[in-house]
Amino acid sequence: MWSVIWRRFARSRLAVIALIYVGVITLIAVTAPLIAPANPNATNLAHRLSAPDHQYRLGTDDLGRDVLSRMIHGARVSLVIGFSATLLALIVGSFFGAIAGYYGGAADWIVSRLIEIVLCFPFLFLVLGIVALFRPSLWTIMIALGLTSWTTEARYVRGEILRLRDLEFAQAARASGAKDSRIIFRHLLPNALAPVLVSASFGVANAILVESALSFLGVGVPVPTPSWGGILSIAQQYIEYAWWLVVFPGFAIFTTVAAFNVIGDRFRDALDPRSD
Amino acid sequence: MTAYVVRRCLYAVLTFVGITIATFALIHAVPGDPITFYLSNHMNPSRPALEAIRHEYHLDEPLVTQYVYWAKGVMTFDFGRSTLDRRPVRERILNKLPNTLLLNFIAFLLAALIGLPIGLWSAARSGRALERASAVGFFLLYSLPSFWVALLLMQLFAIRLDILPIFGMTSDEYPTLSAMQQLADRARHLILPVITLSYAQLAIYVRFSKSALTEVIRQDFITTARAKGATPAAVMWRHALRNALIPLVTLLGLTIPSLISGSVIVEAIFQWDGIGHLYFESILSRDYPTVLGLTVATAIVTLFASLFADVLYAVADPRIRFGGDTP
Repeated sequence: MWSVIWRRFARSRLAVIALIYVGVITLIAVTAPLIAPANPNATNLAHRLSAPDHQYRLGTDDLGRDVLSRMIHGARVSLVIGFSATLLALIVGSFFGAIAGYYGGAADWIVSRLIEIVLCFPFLFLVLGIVALFRPSLWTIMIALGLTSWTTEARYVRGEILRLRDLEFAQAARASGAKDSRIIFRHLLPNALAPVLVSASFGVANAILVESALSFLGVGVPVPTPSWGGILSIAQQYIEYAWWLVVFPGFAIFTTVAAFNVIGDRFRDALDPRSD
Repeated sequence: MTAYVVRRCLYAVLTFVGITIATFALIHAVPGDPITFYLSNHMNPSRPALEAIRHEYHLDEPLVTQYVYWAKGVMTFDFGRSTLDRRPVRERILNKLPNTLLLNFIAFLLAALIGLPIGLWSAARSGRALERASAVGFFLLYSLPSFWVALLLMQLFAIRLDILPIFGMTSDEYPTLSAMQQLADRARHLILPVITLSYAQLAIYVRFSKSALTEVIRQDFITTARAKGATPAAVMWRHALRNALIPLVTLLGLTIPSLISGSVIVEAIFQWDGIGHLYFESILSRDYPTVLGLTVATAIVTLFASLFADVLYAVADPRIRFGGDTP
C-alpha cells in the first residue's frame, strides 16, 4: 500500500521539491553549530545593522549579530517546536479520537462536545494566553500548541477507527479474545496512520507559523535564543532601512510552512483513491 | 426540525458551560493572581488596601464560589472591572469592538467576493493548466505568514513608495480635516491592514468553494441532469451551484475564531485600536478580568455563529434534520 501511495505522491514534482526542501532544512537544523559561519549570539556593536556583504552574507541585526548564523540556528527552534507540538497533538488527538471512534455512544458524544468547546476559542487567543501567562519557553509553546491543536487529529483518527473497527481483521482480533486496548493500538491505529500523517503535516506547518508569530510578538522563545520570528520582531523596529532583517527570515518561515503544507496536500491526494 | 433545533440549542448550553469552566480553570492554573502583579506595580500598598482588592475580586473565597460569581456575571455580560484602569471590562471591549468589526467586515467581504467566484471557476475548470497553476498559487498564499506580509507591505507602500500611512487608524492632523478628508484618511489607513487580513481568507474561500462544488459535481443527480440533456450551463447553475452553496454556510462558524486570531497579529503590527490589540495588552499586563472577559466573549460569539450556521444548514438541507444523530 505504501509503495502505491509513494508513487502517486512522487508524481507531483512540487511535492518532491517540498520533501527535499524539508530534508535540507532539517539537515541545517541538525548541523547548525557546524555550518553557521559565526556564533549566533556574538554581538559586534561596531557592525550594527550592516547590510549584506561578503563578511555578513545576510547582514547583521541591531546588536551586530550575524543574521545568517541566527537564521541557521533559528531553524532548530522552528523544527523542534513544529515536530514536538505536532507529536503531542497526535498523541492527545489519537487518544480521544480512538476512544470516540471505537466505543461510539457516550464516549463519542463527550469527545465531540470537548472538540466543540476547544474549537470555539480563537486559536491564537488560547496559545498566546497560555504561553504569555505561564512564562514563554520552548516547553510552554510546545504544550500550548499541542493542547489546542489536537482536535483535527482527533477527528481524523475518529473517522478512520469508525471505518476500520468493524472490518474483518478487527472482528478476527476480537474473536480471538484480544483486549480493546490491544485492538486499538496494535490493529486499528497503525492502519489509521496514513490519513493521520496528512493532518500531522498540516499541523507542523501551523505550529511553525504560530511559533514564529509568538516570537514576532515578543512572547515566543525567550531572547537571545535565535528564532526566525524573533529576527522579524527586531526588523519591525528598523523597518525603515534594514530590509534584510525583513526579507530573509520571513522567506524562511514562508517556504518551510509552504513545504509542509504542500507535502500534506499532495499526500492527501495520493491517499484519495478517486485521484486516479 | 424543531427537535433538531432544540437539541442543537441544548448542546450549545452545554458547550457554553464548558467554555466558562475551561477559561476559568486555565486562568486559575496560572501562577500568581492579580494582586501579585498589582504589588509589582505599586510599591508597598497597605495591608487593608490589599485585603479590599482581594475581597472585591472575590479572591478570598473558595475557587468554586469564585467561579459562580464570575459565571453569573458572564450571563449578563458583566465581566468585572479591569485590574489595569478599574473600568468595567464590558465597556473596554465595547469601546474597541467597532474598530475590529470594521476591519474584519471589509476583509471578509473582499475575500468572499473575490474568493467564491474564483473557487467556483476552479471547480468548473478543474485540471486545466491555468486552474492548476492558480491552485498552487492560492496554496502558497495560504502559507504566507501574515506578519511578514504586513512588514513587506509597510516597507513597500509606506516607506519605499511613501503613498500609504505605515500604521495607526488616523493621521495626526485628523481632527483638523474636513468630513470628506477624514473619510479618505480613514480609508487610506484601512488599506494595508485589510490586505493583510484578507489574503489568507481568500485562499480559504477559494479552496472551500472549489471542493464544495467538486463534491457536488461527482454526485449521481448531476450525471442524471447531464444524461437527460441539460446544457452544461444549466447543470452548473441550476443543479450544482445551489447545492454547493449549502456547505459554505458552515464557514460562518468556522471563520470567526480564525478572524479574531488574525486580528491579534494585524492589530499589533498596524497599531489598530481593536479587541485583538486590547487582548494582547491585557495579556502582557496580566489584566485577568479583561483576558477572561475577552476570551469568553469571543468564544460565545463563535458558539452562536456556529449554532446559527447549523440551524441554517438544517433549513437548507433536509437530509441533516431528518437524518440520524451526527455528533
